[in-house]
Amino acid sequence: MVTLGSAPANLCCMSNPHSLIEMQQVMLRYATGKTALSGITLDIPQGQFVYLTGESGAGKSSLLRMFYGGIRPSSGVLKVNGTDMREAAEAGIRELRRHTGIIFQDHRLLFSRTVFENVALPLRVQGWKTDRLIPRVRKVLEYVGLADRLWSYPEALSGGEQQRIAIARAMTANPAIILADEPTGNLDIETARRVLDYLMGLNRQGTTVIMATHDLHLLESHPGRVVQLHSGSLAGEY
Amino acid sequence: MVVADSRSEQDIPEQLHPRLPGGFHLPPFGIHQLLALIIVCVSLWALGVLWLGMQAAGQWVGSWQQDIHIHVYLPADSGRGDELKLALKEIPHVTEVRGISADEAASWMRSWLSDVGLSNKDLVSRLPLTFELSLDEEESRFLFADIRDAAERFGARVNDEEVNLAKVHHWLSQLGYLAWFASIVLALAMALIISNTLRMTLLARADEVHLMRLLGAREWFVRMPFILEGALIGVGAGALGWILLWPLVWGTSDWFSLLQVDLNAWVLLLPLACGGALVGALGAVIATARIVSNDAPV
Repeated sequence: MVTLGSAPANLCCMSNPHSLIEMQQVMLRYATGKTALSGITLDIPQGQFVYLTGESGAGKSSLLRMFYGGIRPSSGVLKVNGTDMREAAEAGIRELRRHTGIIFQDHRLLFSRTVFENVALPLRVQGWKTDRLIPRVRKVLEYVGLADRLWSYPEALSGGEQQRIAIARAMTANPAIILADEPTGNLDIETARRVLDYLMGLNRQGTTVIMATHDLHLLESHPGRVVQLHSGSLAGEY
Repeated sequence: MVVADSRSEQDIPEQLHPRLPGGFHLPPFGIHQLLALIIVCVSLWALGVLWLGMQAAGQWVGSWQQDIHIHVYLPADSGRGDELKLALKEIPHVTEVRGISADEAASWMRSWLSDVGLSNKDLVSRLPLTFELSLDEEESRFLFADIRDAAERFGARVNDEEVNLAKVHHWLSQLGYLAWFASIVLALAMALIISNTLRMTLLARADEVHLMRLLGAREWFVRMPFILEGALIGVGAGALGWILLWPLVWGTSDWFSLLQVDLNAWVLLLPLACGGALVGALGAVIATARIVSNDAPV
């Protein structure tokens, strides 16, 4: 098993000293007038594995987008790693994103670039030199079992392998938090379980993982905290 | 649970120069960039030709720019030379009226005609009285009309070729403004051509740009490759346009030497290359200013 070092310890200190994400009465209303989220109050401590569940349109993806500053709350308080997401300047959001790993359902890999170039992108953005990138990328690809695909192009990989590359990309900068938007949505059960294995492994090493999912059966084999959303509101927690 | 791939590092082919996006790494060069380079090259070549033409015209009337003289001729037997001289002196912008003696004029003419066998005495008897007018301002609206009026009142004649040259000098200075105007308009057009080309590249690579922003890339990091590319297209087009000026310079050198014009294309190298780089970078800034990512921090 390959270990990659624990997540950065310089995390936030808000009302709850262990909270990585703190939300109080968060509301999100789009410019069209549609209210996507309302009255969300939630604390996510550092090091948790959190599932966001709910029907389509419940607000899972909107919530995840708010966590990385893709959209800003219309009202309420949302602090991620100490950054007030309503008031933060562009530079603050960028800094937060550098310590956040994002995994998309459609994985958003760059098909014109090699696996190495895809996985190295977060580090390249942070200014790493090429000679330092190769060993680091090799190491994260070893973790997801794709070290031999370093110079392959994503289109030559299967769906499961592509999702593992997306996981490798999300973890390569050793982020404090990984946000995964239905990463198992297009995968068969076995592949989905393997993907969750990787995410659980990262979580055990100290990374907070927040994952939006429909696949409730995965919760039996990979237990975690479940936050249930319904029509943009918090419907339950267990 | 996770098991690392068992293959050793030696099994994996090494790639020493991976092509990473962002920062000072240039995007790949394709057909769109080549087309932009050709179009901008032709525009810069046209600008080079324009400024070479200005240079030639400037040299052609060069002596006139320093010291403007107009000659007025009065028949030798008229007996009104002094009156004409006084009338010419009263014209505004005429700083000096010098009467050229018949002997001086005859000597000059003999040297000009390369001693064709005429005696100085014959020439003196045939030459009119000549007055040389020094002017301080050839652009004055009625100056030449006033000189002609004064000359005609006394039955004298103005050297029209000199008047025409003085007017050409004036037009050339006006043409200079026009050349600058044309240069600015062409520069803007070139910037838009490069902007459009880079826009197509940007659209093709929008996913990459959006992803870099999602990963926390700074704006300069996202835009720099495109700005570099625009500047490089501009420099390349400028250098190529400059090289293509030389056949023109060599082809016209014999004809220009008759006019005592010696074109110097070297002075255009830096303006064309730097100007090209500038419009290229401007085009890239215009193109990248319009990339909007849905997930960009706002």
